[in-house]
Amino acid sequence: MRVIDASSTLRFATGVTAAALALVLAAACESGGGTEPSGTARRIVVWQMGEGSPEQTRFLDGVKAEFRRMHPQTDVRVEYVPWPQATQKFQTAIAGGSGPDVTEVGNTDVRSWIQQGAFADIGAKVSHWAEGHDLSQGALANDQVDGRTYAVPWYGGVRAVWYRKDWFRDLHLQPPASWAQLVAVARRIQKAKGVPGIAAPSDFTNGILSFVWANGGDVAAKQNGRWTGTLAGPQAREAIEFYAGLVSKEKVAPDAYIGKNELQGPQQDFALGKVGMYMDGSWALPQLEKINKKGAPNWGVFPIPGRDGGLAPVFSGGSDLAVWNDSRHKDLAFDYLTVLDGKRNAQAFATTLKFLPQFSDVLRSGTYQNDPIMGPFARAAEAGVRFTPASKGWADYEGAKKVLPNAVKAIMQGASADQELKKADEQAGSLLNE
Amino acid sequence: MIETVEEAGRRVRGSPDPGSPTGPVRRRVRLGPYLLILPSLVVIGVLLVWPVIQIGRMSLQNVGVRQLRGRPAENVGLANYRRILGDDLFWTALRHTVLFAAVAVTATLIAGTLTGLLLGSLGRRMSALVTGGIMVAWATPQVTAAIVFSWLFGTTGGLVGWFLDLLPDGLVGSGWQSYNWFARPLPTYTVLTLCVVWMSFPFIAVSVLAGLRTVPDELYEAARVDGSTAWQRFWKITFPLLRPIFGVLLTLAVIWDFRVFTQLFVLSGLANRDAFNLSLYGYSEAFGSLNAKYGLGSAIAVVLTLIVLLVTAVHVRTVIRQEGAA
Repeated sequence: MRVIDASSTLRFATGVTAAALALVLAAACESGGGTEPSGTARRIVVWQMGEGSPEQTRFLDGVKAEFRRMHPQTDVRVEYVPWPQATQKFQTAIAGGSGPDVTEVGNTDVRSWIQQGAFADIGAKVSHWAEGHDLSQGALANDQVDGRTYAVPWYGGVRAVWYRKDWFRDLHLQPPASWAQLVAVARRIQKAKGVPGIAAPSDFTNGILSFVWANGGDVAAKQNGRWTGTLAGPQAREAIEFYAGLVSKEKVAPDAYIGKNELQGPQQDFALGKVGMYMDGSWALPQLEKINKKGAPNWGVFPIPGRDGGLAPVFSGGSDLAVWNDSRHKDLAFDYLTVLDGKRNAQAFATTLKFLPQFSDVLRSGTYQNDPIMGPFARAAEAGVRFTPASKGWADYEGAKKVLPNAVKAIMQGASADQELKKADEQAGSLLNE
Repeated sequence: MIETVEEAGRRVRGSPDPGSPTGPVRRRVRLGPYLLILPSLVVIGVLLVWPVIQIGRMSLQNVGVRQLRGRPAENVGLANYRRILGDDLFWTALRHTVLFAAVAVTATLIAGTLTGLLLGSLGRRMSALVTGGIMVAWATPQVTAAIVFSWLFGTTGGLVGWFLDLLPDGLVGSGWQSYNWFARPLPTYTVLTLCVVWMSFPFIAVSVLAGLRTVPDELYEAARVDGSTAWQRFWKITFPLLRPIFGVLLTLAVIWDFRVFTQLFVLSGLANRDAFNLSLYGYSEAFGSLNAKYGLGSAIAVVLTLIVLLVTAVHVRTVIRQEGAA
């Protein structure tokens, strides 16, 4: 009896092992794939960042239809990659060779990915693309390394200060034009409305940098091919002390946002009328309306002011489009890219997202200059768009180590600015030169 | 009871007699069990042992995305380990990990044991109700639980802040509604401890209850007749008899709490480095930036694994010794 049992279990076990092996082999074959010649592909895969809102899906369906009029044989599959997962997804794809044909990529990340060999050199293709000649040259420069072009700008945006028009009217306030006025206005709101005057989150590198740049400072400077941290310099330090001081010295910003970014509280609180002002991009409008549609008519925007007047330079955030280096259908991929990033489609999509398209001639048009919400953002962008240090190590400085946010957090909690910023500069020296 | 089990074991182990005529048949039968566990062994080997070996190897190398694509990885010897040990943040993270584990394990075991004893003294229906209730906490996915706790302790509309503000100011102070629970390590770890203990005590409770069911009622009756208190009954009867169960539960709790990642990741995240534990530290080094540093991350993982293995090994040894002595 037991002998029979054993042999039947043996057969069963072998069966299971064989089945498992078959599965592994099948998976291996699938990932190996066939080799289709470029140009006759049945499908290209496109990665889009975000959750895939109905508007985005509708827009991409239109782009697909337009593309298929050029290439009826080719299907387009769009896959959405939520922003927080983008890094992991890209890393896995580069390592495993399972990437898309075309992808959207955040403009802060694009240089790191280029240096890791993720994207194809599309310089020759771009130069033959008629509309490509009107692309904003400043934004395009961010996609170029050693004279080669690896991506093209798609949409972009800058940050400004969102405020309550109704409260400003009640209290006879004007949009502040200097840092001192910013504090004064925040204090008036705090006293009269019983809510914190302004939100100053600490995990907010790209916003804090506006203050640093406005004061003539910077994160780091490149001399003789080496990066040196410059946050401890007097100009940068004064700006950071001002920003941190909104919480610790002036007390016009709450400590509730220490260790948070602008989406982890400030945005929601502003929409609900629980904080007077907060800094964010034009792209925040759809989300603000989702939180509190009724408040929308009272929201206004003014550019981040300079220290004693003028406008602060702003960081330009946005997305670029690239052709994946492992793509077997690079020509098709680029054709799709030109449809997606054609002037008409790029402007339509930027408008649904409340971003700005990246064509200089389109931006100069009245459509953008006269818009009540987009106008201040366009003005801010005009005043001077800046980028963070063009070093591969910036991803470590900002992404992994969060050097500036942690320094600002410590200063807000009473640490010495001098000491914290010197530490930050030491890290800049080692991380940016890696 | 323990004796009977051991006798049975001796009988089973002693039975295959090489001299007996059934010997050859038995030997053929013996192949079966090994073949049966072969698939599991293969799966464990592929999914667990091989990755562990890889991590050990990678911790001695400089590995980024390019190396995963097939570029030869540069061997750096112990440089990754030297870099970690020279990093102040590693020692902060280590301190957080150990202190948190000590507090959370103690709290989990106490809460779980008390609940288990409560369940044991409840009637059948009530016991089922309470068990069902606490199992919901056990079954809640970690991410879900962490998000719920981050809402409870949030600055806008957080239930805990709202409730604390309702209490008299003389008792708890004021301003809780806007209190930032995640700005400093101590309040962060207070919330984390609540969250982790809330999720893990039900398992302890149910295991203790299962153990209690095996203790003969006569022992408690006799103790009661002798005029014992509940405290004495627990330490003189329940605890000694359930010692092996407590041993396993302690080991499990230590392993869980040393490795906590998800909840802390959701609650305070990568932006608050001053509140890192070893898991978060390793994650931020390996995956935090676009320039992945798998070698460095692996080294941190190896250190964490060694610490957990060490703690567990010491503990398992004492348990085995006690068992042997008993």
